[in-house]
Amino acid sequence: MESLYAITTGVLTACGLYLTLRGRTFPVVVGLTLLSYAVNLFLFSMGGLTTGGAAIIDGQSHFADPLPQALVLTAIVIGFAMTAFVVILAMRARSELGNDHVDGRKREEPHR
Amino acid sequence: MTLLWIALLPLLGVLVPAFTAQRGRRFCSLATALLPALALLMTLGQLPTLAAGETLRFAVDWVPTLGLELAFRLDGLSVLFNLLIMGIGLLILLYAHYYLSPEEPFGRFYAYLILFMASMVGIVMADNLLLLWLYWELTSLSSFLLIGFWSHRSDARKGARMALTVTGAGGLALLAGLLLLGDMVGSYDMQVVLESGSAILADPRYPWMLGLVLLGAFTKSAQFPFQFWLPHAMAAPTPVSAYLHSATMVKAGIFLMARLHPAIAGSELWTVVVSLIGMATMLYGAWFALMKTDLKGILAFSTVSHLGLITVLLGIGSPMAVLAALFHILNHATFKAALFMCAGIIDHETGTRELKRLGGLRRAMPITALLTTLAGAAMAGVPLFNGFLSKEMFFTETLETPVLGGLSWLLPVLATLGGVLSVAYSLRLVHAVFFKPAREAPPKSPHEPPWLMRAPVVVLVVICVLVGLAPVLAEGLLGLALTPVLGETMSFHLAIWHGFNLPLAMSGVALVAGVAMYWRHPDLQRFLKGFRPVDARLVFEGAMQRLSAWAEATLRGIDNGSQQRYVGLLLLASLVVVGFGLSGMPLLTGDQGNQPVDGVLLVGAGLLIFGGIATAATHRYRLISLLMLSVVGLVVSLTFARFSAPDLALTQLSVEVVTMILLMLALFFLPQHTSRETSAPRNVRDIVLASALGMAVASLNYAVLTRDTTSLSSFFLENSVSGGGGHNVVNVILVDFRGFDTLGEITVLALAGLAIFKLLRRLRLFMPHSDTEGRLWSPDRYPSILTSISMALLPLALLVSAFIFLRGHNMPGGGFIAGLVTAVAMILLYMARGVEWAQERLQFEYQPVAIAGVGIATLTGLGSWLFGEPFLTSAFGHFHLPLIGDFELATALLFDLGVYLAVVGATLMILANLGKVTTPHSPAKGAPASDENLSRSSKEKH
Amino acid sequence: MQHLIVLPVVLPLLVGLILLRSRHGAMRTHRRVGVAATALLVVVATVMLTRAAGGEVTYYALGGWQPPFGIVLVLDRLSALMIMVTSVLALGCVIFACAGDDERGSNFHGLFQLQLMGINGAFLTGDLFNLFVFFEVLLLASYALLIHGGGKSRIQSAVHYVVLNLVGSSLFLISVGVLYGATGTLNMADMAVRLGELPAERTGLVAAGGLMLLVVFGLKAAILPLYFWLPRAYAAAPAPVAALFAIMTKVGIYAILRVYTLIFGEQAGGLEALERPWVWWLSLATMVVAGIGVLAARDLRLMVAYLVVISVGTLLAGIGMGSPEAVSALLYYLVHSTLITGALFLLAEMIGLQRGKAGTRLVKGRPLRDGRLLAGLFFVGAIAVAGLPPLSGAIGKALLLDAAAPWQQPWLWPILLGTGLATLIALSRAGSTLFWRSHDGEASGEALSRSRWLGAGGLLAASPLLVALAGPVSDYTRATADQLADPDVLVRAVLSDAGESP
Repeated sequence: MESLYAITTGVLTACGLYLTLRGRTFPVVVGLTLLSYAVNLFLFSMGGLTTGGAAIIDGQSHFADPLPQALVLTAIVIGFAMTAFVVILAMRARSELGNDHVDGRKREEPHR
Repeated sequence: MTLLWIALLPLLGVLVPAFTAQRGRRFCSLATALLPALALLMTLGQLPTLAAGETLRFAVDWVPTLGLELAFRLDGLSVLFNLLIMGIGLLILLYAHYYLSPEEPFGRFYAYLILFMASMVGIVMADNLLLLWLYWELTSLSSFLLIGFWSHRSDARKGARMALTVTGAGGLALLAGLLLLGDMVGSYDMQVVLESGSAILADPRYPWMLGLVLLGAFTKSAQFPFQFWLPHAMAAPTPVSAYLHSATMVKAGIFLMARLHPAIAGSELWTVVVSLIGMATMLYGAWFALMKTDLKGILAFSTVSHLGLITVLLGIGSPMAVLAALFHILNHATFKAALFMCAGIIDHETGTRELKRLGGLRRAMPITALLTTLAGAAMAGVPLFNGFLSKEMFFTETLETPVLGGLSWLLPVLATLGGVLSVAYSLRLVHAVFFKPAREAPPKSPHEPPWLMRAPVVVLVVICVLVGLAPVLAEGLLGLALTPVLGETMSFHLAIWHGFNLPLAMSGVALVAGVAMYWRHPDLQRFLKGFRPVDARLVFEGAMQRLSAWAEATLRGIDNGSQQRYVGLLLLASLVVVGFGLSGMPLLTGDQGNQPVDGVLLVGAGLLIFGGIATAATHRYRLISLLMLSVVGLVVSLTFARFSAPDLALTQLSVEVVTMILLMLALFFLPQHTSRETSAPRNVRDIVLASALGMAVASLNYAVLTRDTTSLSSFFLENSVSGGGGHNVVNVILVDFRGFDTLGEITVLALAGLAIFKLLRRLRLFMPHSDTEGRLWSPDRYPSILTSISMALLPLALLVSAFIFLRGHNMPGGGFIAGLVTAVAMILLYMARGVEWAQERLQFEYQPVAIAGVGIATLTGLGSWLFGEPFLTSAFGHFHLPLIGDFELATALLFDLGVYLAVVGATLMILANLGKVTTPHSPAKGAPASDENLSRSSKEKH
Repeated sequence: MQHLIVLPVVLPLLVGLILLRSRHGAMRTHRRVGVAATALLVVVATVMLTRAAGGEVTYYALGGWQPPFGIVLVLDRLSALMIMVTSVLALGCVIFACAGDDERGSNFHGLFQLQLMGINGAFLTGDLFNLFVFFEVLLLASYALLIHGGGKSRIQSAVHYVVLNLVGSSLFLISVGVLYGATGTLNMADMAVRLGELPAERTGLVAAGGLMLLVVFGLKAAILPLYFWLPRAYAAAPAPVAALFAIMTKVGIYAILRVYTLIFGEQAGGLEALERPWVWWLSLATMVVAGIGVLAARDLRLMVAYLVVISVGTLLAGIGMGSPEAVSALLYYLVHSTLITGALFLLAEMIGLQRGKAGTRLVKGRPLRDGRLLAGLFFVGAIAVAGLPPLSGAIGKALLLDAAAPWQQPWLWPILLGTGLATLIALSRAGSTLFWRSHDGEASGEALSRSRWLGAGGLLAASPLLVALAGPVSDYTRATADQLADPDVLVRAVLSDAGESP
């Protein structure tokens, strides 16, 4: 199970990273979102994978590590804030620069 | 303390012109002279003490960790230079008073001049290597200001920059050398350094140190091959040239060699390098002095030549050679300053310094002619002038040094050649200006200057003659100065007449040949027409421009402005370090091993992997890619649920919804497709890089998962109920144990809202009427089914979120999730009924809501101060209310309320503002999409 | 006074919220509140500095939860120094901004305060994940401030800045995760203790996590292969923001210093000074490339941005050298370079305002209205930043050069002195073009308000002050370096009454 889990995070990370290497803003944003999913899965698993653990304290003894969960919750929300910002930044960039290339120029143009 | 005053009075004097400039020029000049004069008197006052054989020292700590002290010393060498610096400085001040025209900013000029004087005084009095360096660079800076004083002139600007660059670079080398020297000795204290000569010579780093120190000295003293800056520094006003470039600053390098003589001189390396460089400089300078036609140019190159001469003497380094060097420093300062001032007078009164336009001036300016002739004779080394004496000593020393072994005869021959040249250019200077008839008339009709302007020249020339006639006069001072350079006292006698000997013959040869050379000068000029010397300024400027162009080209190679490269480098860097770390692991699998896999997991993992790859693979079709992304998001939330984290699952789910709405909205305004623009090799490279890092991350993940670690979590589980008053540990961690994180997090959220608000301000968007295939967007803007559902959903959603919120502390839920649910419901309303409709009914702004949320959370935290507890300390209690029964009230709930409001406020700020962009409610105040925008966007699609 | 430590976070947060509460409030009130709050922060920082100077490490347990369980803020000499530098710089910037830069977009003063909150929090926190949170706070605030006023170049550079930092944040989370997974704690002091007892087979894992953290901090600090976002972003940012950003790279440097001296200190065995070789070589390369950048820059603001990168390289070289002498030198240099590069950004703006169309581009322009005074200030700033006497750069560089061990000298000396020379060449050319080589004609630039002079001049005045007080300041930085070299003091102070009690 652990290896499967690790492979999954690895694949998601790789896909996210691949997209962040693209040249247009929207795929980059999608990539960052995908990357944040992968990272959240990664961080989540740092306390170990617990199946069927209790979520609340009511006398049970089998618990998942709650700390990574809290961290991931924080990370999710921060990730959302960042995604929201970057996607609207992408829109603004397109409006200001006339295209949606990450460097603000079209491909054909010679390098500055 | 006296020493401190001597060193600091001139420095304080820098301020005087600033305060007195508006009181008139005469007053300002006098006031400016006051403090340096005082310092000069104080220096003279110390002479008796020094004569008794004492060295005065003064030190206070400045930067102890560095070994930098505010330490001054006054020994014979310092006194000699102090007298030159301040004495000639005061004469220059008097001269400058008449030289500058009334409309020039004389106050500023004086300030720079005094600053320079103060830094020179600092150099010669510094008793700490680092302090010496500080003053050293200060002279470079103040000379930069002085050379560039007439900043409207291009030659002044360029000359100033060249001087600064060369001497500044030398200064940096000097710093390295001095640090090395200090390192070798173990102290920056000058006394310690001077006493450790033998240790220094034995140190393996000696050659490096020597090279660096000499680099500093040679650049400053314009030694070959760094001589080129000096002639161009002549763009400065003449008082500056007379002061800096003949008497003082260029002597700083000489001074340094003299000062450190006991410590660093005693090696063969020193002798060879210094004397040969000196000799080259001497000949080079003398040669070009003969070729120049500009009065100051001649003087500048002759200065280079004389500095070379002194350097040769210091290089030879025998006691008599050092004596001769010191003597020539004194002599050169007097006659060269006098000559510069004469040149300035001529320039001032005739309007030109060009030899071709000058001539026959002895009639109009007889006194100046006399003075110039006398000073020129001293420079040429005519007997009975001071220059003759030191030059004679120079010839003697070149004869006696065995430094070049079998080639030792070379030195006297070259020295004589130098003498010949110097006679020739001195003669030319005097003859061409005053005696030869003029070829064309100068711009102004010449006449004598005011006598006070001439007075400094008179003083200097009188010294030249007096010392030449009675060298005994200089003996006392030279004796004092000699002691610290040699490290011991030596008795000597200066005489005019040494009998008929080889040096006298050399002088004779020099005189005769020099006269002959000047006589045949026109032939020489003709012959040399072919060898026009390169203009150092052009070369230097060209080099600087090439440097700049090279820098630009190189930089473009490194940084091409491409984000793809930047991100790639970031990933590569991570890959390298993680690979480095992982390679240090003996075994990736830890002691825990694997848990078994079940079918549900397999399906989940398969879905995630498929979704991820599909998202990446279809990225050019953005909508499809987005759908795939949402699949991943959903399965991630299921994963959280599967591994016992219901809070996370709920949060992820609601965030997922909001994110998707946001991305869809954004996609509406962005191109729907990405054209194919990445080349195949590049694609492969990206895939390899991303996969490699993905593998690295997977390895890290696996390595951690298969190892067991005792973490802090048991504490949280044990204290959640007793300490935090909640049964939902995750929520208690969020609002209590690690409430500070949460406070930061909602701040981030609110900030995102604010930042997006800024982004949307004045945003002009173009609204597509149709999708990429040309199909019109649905004309039915507000679908009725959605409308009715959303209306019904809102109260329900609000109820649900209230429920989730309230139970959060004890059951899965809490402020975050509740906030997101509320936000989603309201957004649904916006989407269903349109922004206008919602805007009318929801009459409040979201920014205050978000801010209030963060505020409530902060204030809750602050509340604990009232009870003397740290920020964010929670309190809870169980209360009993009739009808409702037992219930629990915790401050954490209040904190969570802040979280709730912040989430609702920020999320709606983001989405509703974005929605508003599409309507007349846009923050742009209804700026319609302009045609320009439209056409630009439609063009891009093709 | 017991709440002193948390004040640098809570004060700007509260003030920021108050300022943001009223979007349409009068600008004058906003300015007064912003400046007053920042001035108050300077006072708080001074008190903290005097308290920390004694050498005692104190901490503040948020929520009353004792370390290692709760989040703590730690006050030692280093964090006190950083807060001090931040607040002084911020005061100069906010005063400068009152001249009108704050009106070019919404919510300037509120965002500015939240930016300060983020920076201060990052300097104070003793918890690795909390450090992440504060990084995000300061990043988002900086995004918002960077685009303040809008415009093509700002938006464009913001895209690069934001995307790179988002990837960086993901890497940060991964490395925090690995370190938590391998050690089971987030408190840095506790992590240090646990690394001391780490099973040998885990060192590779921790090294991977630790070095990944270095990449993240290196991105913030702007070290060589990761600095490319900086020059354009800083050159594009509004002047007071760019000036404040001078401290942002130092957040990265601080984080490297903190994490690797504390967590990967002596007790960490084979992991001790994990970062040093990497930082050493990369910092030298950074200096070289940034030196080239300074020579290549055709715009004053871009040039100053590259000067920031040079200063980063210089500081990191100090970390790479590792000895307490070097750390002490780098801290002195940090104070100097932060304030001076900040001042230069402000100065560049003032110069640009008076040159009309030519702006800060290094081309012949019209004469400046206050040419004399601006040239004087520029001269002072240039000398300071190039490391020439008699200003603070010279002392800082001398300290660094002096601290180099014999084997480091052949590398550090030529590069450090060479970049100094490059700076000198570039700045003398720039100054000569800006102030000396002007068109004929009347100076007609915009008059500069008093707050601009005050902001820029005040920051520049720090340089002579740092020289005059070089003794005490360097004594303090030396004591700081010694404290960092002996992390045990901090660990004992933070974990002394670690217990089960809430």
